[in-house]
Amino acid sequence: MNNTNRALNRILIAVIGLLTLLVGAAALAVATLPAIRAAYKSTAPDIHNGMAGWLKAIPLFDTGSSWGWIFVLAGLVLIITLLLVFIFRQGHGRENILLKEPATQAGTTIIDSTVAEHAIQDDLDGRPEFIGSSVSTHRVHGTPVLKISVTCRRGVSPRDVTTIIENTLTAFDVLLGRQVPALIEIRGGMRARLARTTRTQ
Amino acid sequence: MSAPYSYRRVLRREMHSPRSVLAIAVSVVVILLCAYVGTEIILSMLNQRALLAAPQDMLAALAALGSAPVALPTGIGVILMIIGLLLVIAALKPGRRARHQLVASRGAVVADDEVIASALARHAARAANVSPDNTVVSVSRRKAIVRLTPTSGTPVHRDAVANAVQEQLAAFELTSPVRSSVVIASSGKVGA
Repeated sequence: MNNTNRALNRILIAVIGLLTLLVGAAALAVATLPAIRAAYKSTAPDIHNGMAGWLKAIPLFDTGSSWGWIFVLAGLVLIITLLLVFIFRQGHGRENILLKEPATQAGTTIIDSTVAEHAIQDDLDGRPEFIGSSVSTHRVHGTPVLKISVTCRRGVSPRDVTTIIENTLTAFDVLLGRQVPALIEIRGGMRARLARTTRTQ
Repeated sequence: MSAPYSYRRVLRREMHSPRSVLAIAVSVVVILLCAYVGTEIILSMLNQRALLAAPQDMLAALAALGSAPVALPTGIGVILMIIGLLLVIAALKPGRRARHQLVASRGAVVADDEVIASALARHAARAANVSPDNTVVSVSRRKAIVRLTPTSGTPVHRDAVANAVQEQLAAFELTSPVRSSVVIASSGKVGA
């Protein structure tokens, strides 16, 4: 529900995957295919000499090094920076404001997301069916959407869980006077497996 | 609210993997590689000893690959090809999460397959009169398979179990139909 750019994730994985595949295929071809091995043997040293000459042609003052390496370094730093931005761009998309009424003469009404989150969480926390719950608000295409995520005990029917949470939501709708879109996520997982059994009804 | 809210985007994102973990892992590997090469370049520019190999020597080794022994590049090539292929497959596969959507009057509901399975297991165990420990249910996108190990000496009524499971599945009101099947082990367990 967060606004991770999923297309970008897949493009990055595909591009790196293809590059790895190509490098692997090239190494394999040079090692095993006689024709390619011969061609590589005859041309690679020339290209290497050409590159070495190019590096020598642009000396870095009199340090014995070359501007070429500085360019390579700049390229590497650029790649690292872009990837770091990409990593820290994952997730996000929380919304702080649940409702904003148009301004009237008396002023503007803003309802904070935490109002809904605390009210719903409070209602769900005492339930024996649930081991844990979390409520958050996300912005999806400009609309705040509530996400109610519960970890329920083993053996509890997802239909019962849905009914419980829908009742909570309906009660909150009455309180708020509006219906905010909501997503209910019913999870199992490690915590459900390790929790003690208990009587739920 | 005027038009009913469309949950299409929300549901698509909840039912599919974002591939974030893999994308971050791949990025970290590339960052480490770049950082290593950068370190070697800086060390060679400062005329310091290289960590593993100076960048000039790396290029020379690459150029001499045509006359190098065959075993090492073959092995590295095969490993890189496998990794690359797995990454491409992961990028192209839909990456469905093991979840089902439930019909709901208020909002949209998704439940892990694990939750559905454990609820089915509880009812199947009760209908079969066996211990829940001897009931294993696996739920996939279109199928729910209930495996029971009966208690020795006590027959299990397959129809009763199948009915109980069918009834529960119908009660869950999943948006995509799930067929159920019951498998009863041919030999029972004593004292279970």
